[in-house]
Amino acid sequence: MSTGFSPGTAPPADVRAEMLLGAQSLATPAPPSQARGITSDLSVDEALLLHAAGWEPLDLVCGVAVVSVPVGVWNWGRGAISLASDAHDQAVDQAAAQLRGECSKVHGHGVVGVRVEVSVRTHHVDVELVGTAVRPMEGQDPRGADAAQAMPFTSDLSARDFTLLQRAGWMPVGLAFGASFVYAPRRTAGTAMKQTRQNVELTNYTEAMYSARESAMEKMQRSALHAGGQGVVEVKVTEGPMSFARHAVGFTAWGTAVRLVAESHQFVQPQVVLPLDDAVVTFEAESLRSGGQGRGRKR
Amino acid sequence: MTVGPDGSDGSERSAGAPAQTPGDLPEAAVRRLESTVFSSGLTVPDFAACLDLGLEPVALVQGFCVMQWGWYGQGSGYMRGLSPYTGGPQSAGSYSETYRCPHGFVSNEHRSWGQNLEQPWVEAAWAQGYGSAYQRMLEEATTHGAHGVIGVVDRVSSVADTGTTEFHFLGTAVTVDGGPPPAGGVPWSTYLAGQRLTKSIEAGFMPVAVVAALASVRVWAYCMTEYLMEGSMSWGGPTGPHLVEQVSKAHMAVRQLARKHVRQQLAGDELHGATIDVVARELSQGDEVIDCTLRGNRVRRFKDFDQVELPRPTVRLA
Repeated sequence: MSTGFSPGTAPPADVRAEMLLGAQSLATPAPPSQARGITSDLSVDEALLLHAAGWEPLDLVCGVAVVSVPVGVWNWGRGAISLASDAHDQAVDQAAAQLRGECSKVHGHGVVGVRVEVSVRTHHVDVELVGTAVRPMEGQDPRGADAAQAMPFTSDLSARDFTLLQRAGWMPVGLAFGASFVYAPRRTAGTAMKQTRQNVELTNYTEAMYSARESAMEKMQRSALHAGGQGVVEVKVTEGPMSFARHAVGFTAWGTAVRLVAESHQFVQPQVVLPLDDAVVTFEAESLRSGGQGRGRKR
Repeated sequence: MTVGPDGSDGSERSAGAPAQTPGDLPEAAVRRLESTVFSSGLTVPDFAACLDLGLEPVALVQGFCVMQWGWYGQGSGYMRGLSPYTGGPQSAGSYSETYRCPHGFVSNEHRSWGQNLEQPWVEAAWAQGYGSAYQRMLEEATTHGAHGVIGVVDRVSSVADTGTTEFHFLGTAVTVDGGPPPAGGVPWSTYLAGQRLTKSIEAGFMPVAVVAALASVRVWAYCMTEYLMEGSMSWGGPTGPHLVEQVSKAHMAVRQLARKHVRQQLAGDELHGATIDVVARELSQGDEVIDCTLRGNRVRRFKDFDQVELPRPTVRLA
């Protein structure tokens, strides 16, 4: 069947030729292979970028940990809820260790594009990390192959950001996490009564939030230092009262700890461009997916 | 489960046989498919990119399968694995791990035994529904003499609250201008379309099939898991936060199984753009059912990777 379309301008001949080459490769059955196929959750763009930067994907890797939170921890009290923070830290450490373990198994030097899912529940903290193990194509790693495989880096940076970071002379060293949970102090009965009819700041909550934030950020920075980083990029934060204990507020922060591996920062010197395209039509290969069903990468 | 949506056992794309005999298409469908008007689910940019690539859309093809899940209660054929004392995996090579209570006999209610158990019958049922819908889509494409199906969308959804699941595939069947039909006449397929497909081809990766697998693990909690998941510190349990080993291992296992099942369908090819979805249903007393679905594009390298120049960073003024 023909579409009846004959585009006025000839399409790039090489693309058509390559499509034909590809079609021919499927015209005969592939010989049996025992090769362990590569798996990755990278998009085509990301895979190409990584390749351009001299890295290749190896395998989809995961790390999961569930750590218990003892009963009574969320009951009303004063100050920091250290047992909950400890559970969070333990879950994150365990999941990261598993992720690095899976990466080492496939001889990866690091994991990029790690998707971080942290769920703090009443009685347990669940952490899931999923990413793609990568390694340099020529085996060149500033840290040395053995050291890199022994302690692979983990990073929630996309392949694009990883490439750019590397170009600037930096490398990710690991995910840095910090979490703190703090009780919002009770107001006295008199204060609560007095404030009933007022538009007034609830300083107990504000102060609890500040307290949680300071503690979590400090932990995250300590975690970055522990991983050998000099700083943390792309820090994400979540904060607010816990859904199951409104008298407690939580603050979690995480990002990718980075270290300068070049002698000094390499200026990227981006080219300034003025796009002339109409931004009305955006390309979306998965636009047929209905809401909530989409499985495209969300970064 | 090792059977993929393309029906392959991992050795080659053996889905060809059923796709060659589209005898069960409704009459109206045959009439519609015989029409000379093409249809496609592609957006205009995707459509343009498709033509540039030498692909001609022929029809929007679909496949459906509605599956009812069997009863899991007593007497059900799906009852296997419910006895705590059967132990061991449910089929050769499937995952099973047992846990023993450290307390000795306490009471009849005490959970002295625990098990993480792969549920191959759940995986097989899912693969049957998914694979049937996929085969039916390919069957329609084959009827059109299509070489491939691009922009595939699949959807797995519940039909009301009836314990029934609908599997739906949709894609645009295409022919390769001047290209040979694929081996066995089975169209290749991919979730990609438009520029992403073009870039994949330019990079030297030809789509082979969309692949997916579900892995399912049932957690039968033993006493320590029950206590930890409920925050209890009974019977000499730890007083502080503690790793829930059984559940953590089950979560890792279900993800590893999904990857293993998908890898069995790759037969040395590569999987690109994988997505992993996990649904954990907590039952009670630490018991859980964890399902993990892994999908992606199976691609075959048909030429060496061209060296790509490192893109130049730009700053947009818009």
